[in-house]
Amino acid sequence: MTFSSQDATARPLRVGIVGGGPGGLFTAWRIEQLASARFAITIFEASHRLGGKVLTPSFTTAAARYEAGAAEFYDYSPVGDDPLRGLVRSLGLATVPLTGAAVIVGGRRIANLDDAGAVLGQDGREGLLAFDAWARSAMTTREFYDSGSDHAATAAPDGRFDAALAATCRLPARSYVEAMIHSDLATEPATTTAGYGLQNYLMNDPAYMRLYRIAGGNEQLVTAIATRLAARIRLGTTVTRIAGVPRAPLTVGWRDGDAVREEEFDVVILALPVGPLSQVVITDTALRTSLARHVAHHDHPAHYLRVTLLIDRPVRGVPGGDDYLMLDAFGGTCLYVESSRDPTATHGVLGLLIGGAAAAELAGETDDVLAAAAVEALPPGLGIGRREVLEARVHRWNGAVSAAPGGWVPLPVDRRHRPSPAHPNLFVVGDYLFDSTLNGVLDSAEHVAGWVAADLAGDPDGVQPQQNHA
Amino acid sequence: MISPDSVTTTGPIVIPDHRPVSVPFGLPADAVCVSRSLPTGEHVEVLSVPLEETAAPWPPATDGGPGGLEDTIRRWVSALASPAATVVVVPLYGCHVAWTAGRAAVIGPPERLGQLEAAVVEFAGVEADLRDAERRAAALLDTVEGDVATSLSLDEHSPDRCAELADRHRRAVAVGRRLALLAPLVHTPPLHPPTLASQLGERLRERTRLVERLEFATQRAEFAERVAEACGQRALEAGIARRQLGLEWAIVVLLVVQTALLVVELLSHRATP
Repeated sequence: MTFSSQDATARPLRVGIVGGGPGGLFTAWRIEQLASARFAITIFEASHRLGGKVLTPSFTTAAARYEAGAAEFYDYSPVGDDPLRGLVRSLGLATVPLTGAAVIVGGRRIANLDDAGAVLGQDGREGLLAFDAWARSAMTTREFYDSGSDHAATAAPDGRFDAALAATCRLPARSYVEAMIHSDLATEPATTTAGYGLQNYLMNDPAYMRLYRIAGGNEQLVTAIATRLAARIRLGTTVTRIAGVPRAPLTVGWRDGDAVREEEFDVVILALPVGPLSQVVITDTALRTSLARHVAHHDHPAHYLRVTLLIDRPVRGVPGGDDYLMLDAFGGTCLYVESSRDPTATHGVLGLLIGGAAAAELAGETDDVLAAAAVEALPPGLGIGRREVLEARVHRWNGAVSAAPGGWVPLPVDRRHRPSPAHPNLFVVGDYLFDSTLNGVLDSAEHVAGWVAADLAGDPDGVQPQQNHA
Repeated sequence: MISPDSVTTTGPIVIPDHRPVSVPFGLPADAVCVSRSLPTGEHVEVLSVPLEETAAPWPPATDGGPGGLEDTIRRWVSALASPAATVVVVPLYGCHVAWTAGRAAVIGPPERLGQLEAAVVEFAGVEADLRDAERRAAALLDTVEGDVATSLSLDEHSPDRCAELADRHRRAVAVGRRLALLAPLVHTPPLHPPTLASQLGERLRERTRLVERLEFATQRAEFAERVAEACGQRALEAGIARRQLGLEWAIVVLLVVQTALLVVELLSHRATP
């Protein structure tokens, strides 16, 4: 029996989506595209805005925008089909490529092999070349593209990334590699798999993928989708419980101010990060157990911290015409010069993306302390001290993404998205189910939307949607 | 004889010769300027200015202002450029490059100047080759409208244009072939891990929009080739038709003569008792 076989012909299928971040919006969008006339979708969002980690706010001191969450999108089109690129294009959003080759190690810049030879010495240069050759042989472009899917297979070792690094990348090249990938990894080499670490190294090779952003702010993506949705959107509503027995509609209970309300849905999709997912009260014992098992399997939090500084004058672009560079401060930090490509900018905007253990440790500090630490970490040649900083914004993304610890084996894609076989009408969607990126969350949303639509169409096996990319 | 259309760039640029050129005023004494010839026959003057670099992550920008070293080389490069020509300035990691068709200047650490110069000359060769192919592709379009008009209003002179159209078609194919040979050099994938020279090549290709220019020139050549082929086909058909018409008239005349002879023969038989 499928969830749609009860009386779906009599009325639209009621779909409740918990979470108004990219996962919830992408899922609603895809379901509406597949069969809008037969669905009645409701999106519950605890905050008062949609978009979650895709956030492009402005400073109050000056009209300057900055990326507070996802700073860039991954472009897989050099290797294969890229659904996110297609979505951005179909929404008519202009994109801008993002480049960055320089890594600062010990106060010196390494932007190419010539720099590597000068800074790390001939041994360091050879070590880097040897590691690069090993990395590319361990994971081809196609394997990189397919990582996260059921048929993913690579020659990368199964264990921890730190062990793989120690075996294949000798010092001082290792310091360079660690600084280069740390902020993207959002965790430490000791707490992630060799495969995940390799992905974060290989993403710097244009043959594997490229980076881009949306002109005018990444938040335009979620705004463009939200304005096109026919779904009912309930902002400021915190879902507190989900009730229901196996193979029956589920009741979603939520808090709206002081009031507690309930509504019945044929399908419920939980589009939440792992942390909030564990806080939803589930009344059915079997479902509660399944969801707890799902959370336990995926609960490997990785952390980001973004400190963005508004500077009292325009800041010169990154040397080399790049958009960002990597600093070795905080174990490896990405410095974005967000104002570099705006010739009309009257102010400079510098964003520091701190990841991993440093982000978790610093998250408890006050904004002032973090702003001061960020200024200290800036390259001296920039000539920016505390006096030049007009305003600082801090965004803490603790546990916002998922690290894949050494030895961790992902579940089959279907199991990831439907944690309880006894409850075929409850799905989960999230970036943590793939690679903790926006591309991953779109893959997740497409999988579930395709599943829901296929089931409604009466396919007893629940036609599995094409796995586009993970 | 090899026509100018046959000049191609198929591999690494060979720098056949170079000669010294006077260094502009106001540059360090160890600056060197040479003129190098390119496979297209053009020359490019390359000015090299050695400057110690410290691999500082954010080098000070004091020499980028008016009167500074970067400004001096940019002005020297711009002096050669026509008003419509592009002057590309590439600040690279610890280096600085200014380029326009026929002139380039490089500031960088002494030990890296050689590879930067080679990258600039290699790029200049590809760019000059492409520019020449673009010019020839544009020239092909000048005759397109006239060709199309005459190909649709055939007259007794149309067949005579066959040779002219065949030559046009041959030239369009030659430009297309040349662009096809340039394509791998223009679409060279980024090297990883990159070298300074590969990064400079990528930046110059990107800033001068070589990929887009190649695409447009290829479209022009293909369009001109299609038109020349179609018009040539029409002219050829007209020629064949004219020959067929002559043959038909010859047959008619023969038939008339045959009929006349037959009539004469019949009449002569009748006249005989």
